[in-house]
Amino acid sequence: MTVASSAAAPPEAGRQGNYAGGVTRLVAFAADIGASWAIFTLALAGLGFAINLVTGKQVDLASRQILALVAIILWEFVYFAYQWSLAGKTMGMALVGIRVVATDGDPITPRQAVIRTVTLPLSFLILGLGFIGILLNKDRHALHDRLAKTVVVYSWDARAARLRWLAQREPTKPA
Amino acid sequence: MSPLPGTSRMEQLVESIAERVVNLVLDAVDINALVGQVDMDAVLSKVDVDGIVSKVDVDALVDRVDVQKIIDRVDVQAIIERVDIEQVIERVDIDSLVERTELGTIIARSTSGVASGVLDAVRAQGVGLDDFLARWVNRILRRSSADWPVGPAKLIASAPVGVPGTETTP
Repeated sequence: MTVASSAAAPPEAGRQGNYAGGVTRLVAFAADIGASWAIFTLALAGLGFAINLVTGKQVDLASRQILALVAIILWEFVYFAYQWSLAGKTMGMALVGIRVVATDGDPITPRQAVIRTVTLPLSFLILGLGFIGILLNKDRHALHDRLAKTVVVYSWDARAARLRWLAQREPTKPA
Repeated sequence: MSPLPGTSRMEQLVESIAERVVNLVLDAVDINALVGQVDMDAVLSKVDVDGIVSKVDVDALVDRVDVQKIIDRVDVQAIIERVDIEQVIERVDIDSLVERTELGTIIARSTSGVASGVLDAVRAQGVGLDDFLARWVNRILRRSSADWPVGPAKLIASAPVGVPGTETTP
């Protein structure tokens, strides 16, 4: 059973602007969570080191759980909202080649980026049912997409990828 | 001067009569019908075109032509404006071109690396899995997505020309 393009076959061409599917979006989200946590941890370590260097005191966020939680929530909000409003995609989305646009295809506004970021946790809080629309709706809307009036589409240039794939093969002789 | 007196007037008379007769004959004859009856193929087959051409000094002919003057009179801009570049590009089989020429090597050198190859592969796998999942969901729900929009109207309308695969989304 074929589930995806095999290594021997070129990537499927021309998906730019098509609604992105659940797997790609899940991979992008996982990559974003990983990236945002990595950045947060590094920033925290850097901050702790700087404070220790200046004041000689150890910073221990484990004993300040509420503060840590607020910091994480704020950071995640900034991470997603800033990137969506700036470019319509996060690092994870750029990695897998998808982006967020308005339902009519226009770039999203900063307001839509903020609404999407704020309502994203809602899709989790209702036992993940907010994401079921990605599988069932014809425009692959999740709950936070519907509330922010956005959709997620493929943005990578599969045509160029196909040409690269063809180019890497030995030139064939004309018939 | 005529050898006999009155010859000049006779000649004029004969000429005017001949002219009148010829006009009457031409009026009476249907030239088009006459030409239609001529077997042009037979006529042309008797013409030694090679012989005629061989007698022509093409070099001398070309030397007499002022090519620069002709070129100066050509409105290249007008010709370019009349060419439908989009249509020309659509007729070019880029895939075949890339496969058969060194253009492929140039593109490979300029655009591909290990990272971009891996990225392409990951993305292609993602798209494949998306389609696989959507196909199974549709199968379980016993529905068809053939008439569903594949994406936002503005983005689909501006999709690259001639790119296959934008027609359906499972």
